[in-house]
Amino acid sequence: MAINNFFKGAVEIGTAMGVTLKTLTLKPVTTEYPRDPVPMYPRFRGKHELRRYESGMERCIGCMLCEAACPTGAIYVEATENDPEHPTSPGERYAKVYEVNLLRCVFCGDCEEACPTEAIVLGHEFALANYSRRDFILTKEILLNPGEPNVIIRPE
Amino acid sequence: MQPRNWASRSPSFVAIQNSSRWRAAAQTIRYGPGISQLVEAKRHKNKHYLISDTIVLDQERCVVCWRCIRYLEEWEDKPQLGLFERGGATIIDIQPGQPVNAKTSGNIIDICPVGALTNRVARFSFRPWEIERTPSICTQCSIGCNTRLDTRTHTLRRVVGRENMQVNDQWICDKGRFANGWVNDEKRLTTPLVRKDGTLQPVSWPEALTLVAEKLQAIKSSAGADAIGGIGSAKLANESNYLLQRFMRQLIGTNNIDHRDGADIAALPSGLPALADLMKPQYGPDPKYDVIMLFGVDPSEELPILDLHLKRAVRRGKAQLIIAHPRRIELTRYNGPFMQYMPGGEVALLNGLLHLAAKAKEDKNSDAVKLVAKVTEKQLREVAGVEVDAAKRAVELLANAKNALIIYGPMPARGANGVQVRQALQNLANYTGHGERLAYVGLDANSQGCRDMGVLPNALPGHVGLEDELGRPHLEQLWGVTLPVTPGKSYSQLLDSAGDSIKALYIMGADPASERPNWAANLDKLDFLVVQEIFLTETAQMADVVLPAVSWAEGNGTFTNLERRVQRAAKALGNPQTKAAPDWMILDHLAGQFDANWAHDSAQSVTAEISHAVPLYAGMTWNAIGDQGRQWDAFGLRTSDDYAAAEQPVLTAEAGELRLMDGTVLYDGGTLFGLTRQLSNVAFGLHVAVNPADAARLGLEDGTAVKVRNRYGILTLSLKLDATVKAGVAWIPASLAGAPVGALLNGGLEVVSIEKTDN
Repeated sequence: MAINNFFKGAVEIGTAMGVTLKTLTLKPVTTEYPRDPVPMYPRFRGKHELRRYESGMERCIGCMLCEAACPTGAIYVEATENDPEHPTSPGERYAKVYEVNLLRCVFCGDCEEACPTEAIVLGHEFALANYSRRDFILTKEILLNPGEPNVIIRPE
Repeated sequence: MQPRNWASRSPSFVAIQNSSRWRAAAQTIRYGPGISQLVEAKRHKNKHYLISDTIVLDQERCVVCWRCIRYLEEWEDKPQLGLFERGGATIIDIQPGQPVNAKTSGNIIDICPVGALTNRVARFSFRPWEIERTPSICTQCSIGCNTRLDTRTHTLRRVVGRENMQVNDQWICDKGRFANGWVNDEKRLTTPLVRKDGTLQPVSWPEALTLVAEKLQAIKSSAGADAIGGIGSAKLANESNYLLQRFMRQLIGTNNIDHRDGADIAALPSGLPALADLMKPQYGPDPKYDVIMLFGVDPSEELPILDLHLKRAVRRGKAQLIIAHPRRIELTRYNGPFMQYMPGGEVALLNGLLHLAAKAKEDKNSDAVKLVAKVTEKQLREVAGVEVDAAKRAVELLANAKNALIIYGPMPARGANGVQVRQALQNLANYTGHGERLAYVGLDANSQGCRDMGVLPNALPGHVGLEDELGRPHLEQLWGVTLPVTPGKSYSQLLDSAGDSIKALYIMGADPASERPNWAANLDKLDFLVVQEIFLTETAQMADVVLPAVSWAEGNGTFTNLERRVQRAAKALGNPQTKAAPDWMILDHLAGQFDANWAHDSAQSVTAEISHAVPLYAGMTWNAIGDQGRQWDAFGLRTSDDYAAAEQPVLTAEAGELRLMDGTVLYDGGTLFGLTRQLSNVAFGLHVAVNPADAARLGLEDGTAVKVRNRYGILTLSLKLDATVKAGVAWIPASLAGAPVGALLNGGLEVVSIEKTDN
């Protein structure tokens, strides 16, 4: 019996080593984060961004539908009238204040679905840790100038 | 087109469903925006079109239903909007270059069915589904219009009218609707201030209140209770005023308590029920009053909703207006007799009217006629400056009227002359048979409530005399003290003797320093000045202690309007970052420093105490008052039918001198009004208005910088030509920012000379 077991064991070790040897030649599935960038699905929902038109005008028209759609009350918008000479956005009004509270946000994406002008989108940035509670409030300035701007707009 | 898939499951759908405009939104969500069957290009019209500084018209949204046009024609009687173009191109527009300026024009925003007219002050600052709506009232004048305050994130966003058929129907004036920027202003006081080393420095509440109590007690023991005075405010709620007078009477022990336009004004409570009748709905030509006389009151500027009620009485009820005013006020266009009297000729005018009434009746022996035996038509013409024809028409109307209402305001009723004017009015009203329908209207939100609460030096709460045998023991038992019996000093007496026999003042919600420079100097001489305010006013800047209070929108309170209706102003918002406290809480804690335990836990419990203390307010608890207010019972009001002589010293003006007139304008640019920047163009400005004839005589032109001078002081203003002002009169409205006309008037009637400034 003992000899039998010895051969069985040898075959199994051989099989296992075969897997090891085979895998040695494959590319790794993990990434060396943060040295290497993380592969991202196009529909990943990360940190919010506010987008502009190519002319530089803000897309957000301050309609506050995102605020209404937000299930956790994470968005606060304060709209005001556009100066007709120097409009901030096309239309009569723009968002004077636009704030997203990341401590409340559950990244459901309802805001981007509600947005009639595709101004608010969830980007691909996911490293959101911070040192103070105040820094979790994304102001309009932060939202308009994301680190990595060219996000993919998800198809409906 | 397919519906957008987010809509059917998104929470925004739920939010929209809860909003008042959800139907249209739901249709779009369900069926999509749709493809138009029209092949023509869409007609483009003005979308962002200002028809006044405060109202924006979107002509593309407009469905040409005419409601705005009808409102301006049927209520305001000012056809400032009209239909232009023909057929499908019809638009609503203003006359070229003439913006809508009716005093209640904002109501067309409320009645627009499609939202084509929007409120420029409030628009875009909220969406309808995210505001909290609180039923409240307006506190800008004494009508007490019912309003709804829309708030969001601890700020007041919008004020709209609320229906109360006994007060304002559903209309409110533009000042009440738009001029609310001060509520959210950054300059509001947020912390108690105490003067240390010459400057006001923030301190904690206990420190400030302890200091107030210590100082007041020290002054009370060294100079006596009557060296301390209290000034309430007719702009504040009944609760605030009741507790202030209780504090002064119970804990200080003095009757030195009054408010502006308080004991200095000859008021008359017996006409209150008559005013209520004027404000009731009127549907057809069945007049409650066939003749209405306005004496020295201009509802269009002072009480805009009363102006609407009067126009309704004239146009639907076919009432006749008799107007006596030194200015050709707007309501004079209804072609009733208009008597443009000289300031200082009030009593001469009224005595002249009584004389003419007696003459028309051929009455020579009654008590009333004996009082005016020496009066002649010449006096009427020369002293009062009134045409005899107009006076005769007025007397004829009054004598033949079934129900005539006579309204007078604070302008002719002020000071020593005011008592005479009131007596002359009573003589005339009694003689023509309308004595019980002679009514005084105060102008501040709680003018009537302040009187009811006993913020007067000569009356306890509920119009109870200081030595009344029934009312006084009732209050003494309730408060557990013996009340002082000597009458105190009135508002002007308190301020005139401040720094002299008055050592300390407790001023709540009043700004006497801005009224007259000599009062400001007197306040500076005080040993101790406490000011309870919402802004650092001129008076507050001179104070030793400033206590921050909250406005009507941030606390609960009840206000009594000009026809004695007690109404609730509920708390609509609260600023979480401020240390400011409601008046009742400040006074309760201050009473605690005097070892009194008043033990109110809310404004409502003060309201409940008032219902015990003031017999007129019996049963008026917070819940009982309700959303539509309650009138107190006027059963006990008695009209005096005695006749007494009324006389007034003749005010002589030298050549080149003009008689000075004040009076109130709606858009005065005062402390609070000036903080709504959208209204800066309509504010009155620093003008003295004179008749063009006078200006020509004095060699002055429109817009000249002039010095207005008399023995009390000098004001530098710009001259404005105004044909509505009577020749021989200079008009400077009260409470213009930085133009204290009170300085020149000094509480009486005065003349001024006007000259060009040197440079």
